[in-house]
Amino acid sequence: MSVADRSFSRRGIFKALGVMTGGITLGRWLGSSAVAAQEPVQTKAIETFTGPGANPHWNSVGPYVAEPQKVPLILLTDRPVQLETPRHYFRTAFTPNEAFYVRWHLEGIPNTVDLKDWKLQIEGNVNNPLALSLPELMQKFKPVSLAAVNQCSGNSRSRLQPRVPGGQWGNGAMGNAMWTGVRLRALLEVAGVKSDSLQVQFQGLENGQGPKGLGSNLFLKSLDLGNPVLDECIVAYLMNGEPLPMLNGFPVRLVVPGYFATYWTKSLTWIRVLNSPDENFWMKTAYRIPDTPRGNTNPEDMKAGKVKTVPIERLPVRSFLIWPDGTSKIPAGMNIRLQGIAFSGFGRVNRVEVSEDGGKTWLPAELGEDHGPYSFRTWGMSWTAKSQGRHTLAVRATDEKGIVQPDEPVWNAGGYLWNMIERQEIVVGKAS
Amino acid sequence: MKKRVLAIFLVMCGLMMVVAVVFADLKKGYYRPAELGSLRQTALIELSPDSNYQVSAYPVPGADLVPGDGRQEVQTYCNTCHSPIYVTMQPPLPAATWEAEVNKMNKAYGAAIPEDTTQKIIRYLQAHYTVENRTP
Repeated sequence: MSVADRSFSRRGIFKALGVMTGGITLGRWLGSSAVAAQEPVQTKAIETFTGPGANPHWNSVGPYVAEPQKVPLILLTDRPVQLETPRHYFRTAFTPNEAFYVRWHLEGIPNTVDLKDWKLQIEGNVNNPLALSLPELMQKFKPVSLAAVNQCSGNSRSRLQPRVPGGQWGNGAMGNAMWTGVRLRALLEVAGVKSDSLQVQFQGLENGQGPKGLGSNLFLKSLDLGNPVLDECIVAYLMNGEPLPMLNGFPVRLVVPGYFATYWTKSLTWIRVLNSPDENFWMKTAYRIPDTPRGNTNPEDMKAGKVKTVPIERLPVRSFLIWPDGTSKIPAGMNIRLQGIAFSGFGRVNRVEVSEDGGKTWLPAELGEDHGPYSFRTWGMSWTAKSQGRHTLAVRATDEKGIVQPDEPVWNAGGYLWNMIERQEIVVGKAS
Repeated sequence: MKKRVLAIFLVMCGLMMVVAVVFADLKKGYYRPAELGSLRQTALIELSPDSNYQVSAYPVPGADLVPGDGRQEVQTYCNTCHSPIYVTMQPPLPAATWEAEVNKMNKAYGAAIPEDTTQKIIRYLQAHYTVENRTP
């Protein structure tokens, strides 16, 4: 008999006494004082930070905050703004714009964009520098649409052991949208890239208080002109068929399908063709991963200077159980539907499996609609808990390159590339 | 016989009442005090059909830095580029990591914090935000 059961019967005896000795009124009086003294559901706020162990929650632990054009999202930082999307917004393949996570690097981010003045500049090592207004982008170039996952390089950073400094994201620094805009290659063609060019650099409207030439002044990212991902890049002016929220990069942002969000420059305003490698802080120092399998290393090798690093690129395969989320019990014997999402930056997810025996055996889930290789793919599986108790479900995905989501953790100093198999405890209660 | 039926009936009624009272009190009507408007909706801003696309100011709820020697310096110098929530969001970090973080602000980001203030900020962070001394 559990503690809860015992107190329940004690109260029952109390009540019975009340009825016998003079009726319901006394019983209710005695009963409610007994109940008030032992409130069964304790309500308390989540802890304000996690660590030194791994964050045990699906999301990060910050409070909710109401930002412009957004539903309440989980606050990581307020200035510059970093907001995480709560778990339940991932029930669908496309993440609503108003719930889409936010991550800026510098505090000078736009509150106002005047489209009378705003022009997308294509400059640098080109034959015909361009300055295109939004109507010119929308009318002079063929619009293209593509579904693609935008995931922060540091998504799930709070899982790493030992913990590393940085934005302590749970799993919600990701989102999927249908992006519509202009092909980057079409813009570069009109501008005429000179033959000795090496890279193309992207700059948005954000800037910081730091000295010129440093990472605290401008956030700059570059891609090699020979990188095939450039053929798939879009300069997007629509996100899920809507103008981009200011916090997600109004009026246009770069979409780099399959790549981490660090390259998806928000409020993109300067596209600069370079004839020498970009050596600014955000390329040379930040957003770099160990040149090892899965970007994995350890603090000792890092400290010893043994680790060669390369710029972060594609999203490793991941999958998530979105519901049930562990917030409520499931009655034993009830047939429920497990729901989740999966994605990979290396090609479409073609298998999602669920294990309830710690990864010994795996059962295939049904995949939802295919929105293209870079989209979230929803999955579902009907599931019945055979017995009352605590069950742990694990989910893993496999992409079309045959890469299976691993069950080993990752560690690197930047807190990047976490993609270990996720687990969720489900409490199944007695149904009678 | 009739008496027995009546007695059983009365006992049943009594039991049902007991059950009803017990369950009613346990199952319903629990509320707790809470802060009114802890997350208020924001008012719509005035929209005019011109070429300006605008959102309201971004809220800065701030962070409660632990009182102590050096807090004022953190609030002044670090706040130039980011709010102090960048400190409180972190997990407890080793003392050496805090030192490296502050030095990174000076070297990589050009914070130009005077040397004695830099040391004071490092000591403050090491005194309150490591595994050994961080308090909820």
